[in-house]
Amino acid sequence: MRHLIALLASVIAIVVGLITLLGLLVGDDLGFLSALVDAFRVRSLADVLLQLVMITVGVTILIGILNLLAVHLGRVVGRRRGWVYSLILVLSTLGVFGLTIAERARLVQTSPDSPAPSMVLFETVQVAVESSLAALVLFALVYGGYRLMRRGVTWKGMLFTAVLLVVLLGALPLQGEGLSLIGQVSRWLMAVPVSAGARGILLGIALATVITGVRVLTGQDRSYRE
Amino acid sequence: MTPEQIGLWAGLILSLMIFSYVLGDNFLYRLAIAVFVGLAAGYVTIVTVESVLMPWLNATLLTRESSVGERLLGIAPFILGLLLLVKASPGVGRLGNLALAFLIGVGAAVALVGALTGTLLPLAVSTGRMANLDLINGFLLVLGVISTLLYFHYLGRRLPGGEVRRALAIRFFGAIGEGFIVVALGALYAGAIITGLTIFSERLAFILSRVGGG
Repeated sequence: MRHLIALLASVIAIVVGLITLLGLLVGDDLGFLSALVDAFRVRSLADVLLQLVMITVGVTILIGILNLLAVHLGRVVGRRRGWVYSLILVLSTLGVFGLTIAERARLVQTSPDSPAPSMVLFETVQVAVESSLAALVLFALVYGGYRLMRRGVTWKGMLFTAVLLVVLLGALPLQGEGLSLIGQVSRWLMAVPVSAGARGILLGIALATVITGVRVLTGQDRSYRE
Repeated sequence: MTPEQIGLWAGLILSLMIFSYVLGDNFLYRLAIAVFVGLAAGYVTIVTVESVLMPWLNATLLTRESSVGERLLGIAPFILGLLLLVKASPGVGRLGNLALAFLIGVGAAVALVGALTGTLLPLAVSTGRMANLDLINGFLLVLGVISTLLYFHYLGRRLPGGEVRRALAIRFFGAIGEGFIVVALGALYAGAIITGLTIFSERLAFILSRVGGG
């Protein structure tokens, strides 16, 4: 039974993967391959498979959130360490649910010109907290930059700090001969070495993705069987 | 007080609670994080149900005209979700591998097509075009791209002593590539600091405007 399930898993991964690949990649100008894809309605099949994956991901998100609520409710009921935070978390989630259900059931009256209360809550509270967390990253980044060479001075650390300072100074909206030169160096850095390094990294990631994809589709990578 | 004003004051208080982390991990920061996670979970659930699951159910299971095949298709994602849920169970956990194989198979194909048509081909073509712009910068660009790729080349030859060593040319170009990677990461780090500074100044302006009655 164990081997049968493992074999079935490999067959499913390879078949659905190849159908999706053909459906997405093969255009109308590839002769026999295009005719084959059209004859077996591979594009429609690929669309259905993609939809199934999207809905399954939606279902798993829902399961994950239900699990999150169950774990935190367990902490509240058991009065375990940090139960106050769990209580606030559960109440916040239930508050959003309650507000949205009340809106949909038209229990909350709003004028046609004003936005729905759930959207007000999202824009004023959720976005505010997200922005504050993003702003907090600034302190971590500056502190990380400051501590970079505390453990030892290396050529990589020096180059990193030099580029960091040039790009930061180049972004300053100040006038002056020295600053104008730094601005030019910064623009050149962004246009040539930074662009080259970023392209190399992105190409490397893309190549690795292609190789991993091919390994999965040819059945060489079978991590889903573990 | 209108709902907008209540929301803005709540946003201000939560922002200050988040910024209290600068003084160290504390009760107020954790409280704000709990509110944030709770609200995010609520919104994600509502968007998932209203924009993903309900349209699917309406199109497949809840329509009177839908055929048996469409109804079976409508149930399929929920069966796959259930299989993923039982994956943690020791008895029937292996059945979850079938759902995982389905997701990985489609995901691998999508990732492959995306990497090929979205990154690999456009970047290779645009790098080739940029190399024609001027001799020195074009040369540096191509050198940077190739040496960065070679930096991640880990194949080597085992020496008689057991040590594995990469070829001299690979090591040489790999060192140049490392330099390009350091420059790229330094610039990205600076970009992240500038972005953080922009968001921080916007937050400060918001706090000052609320406190000042703006």
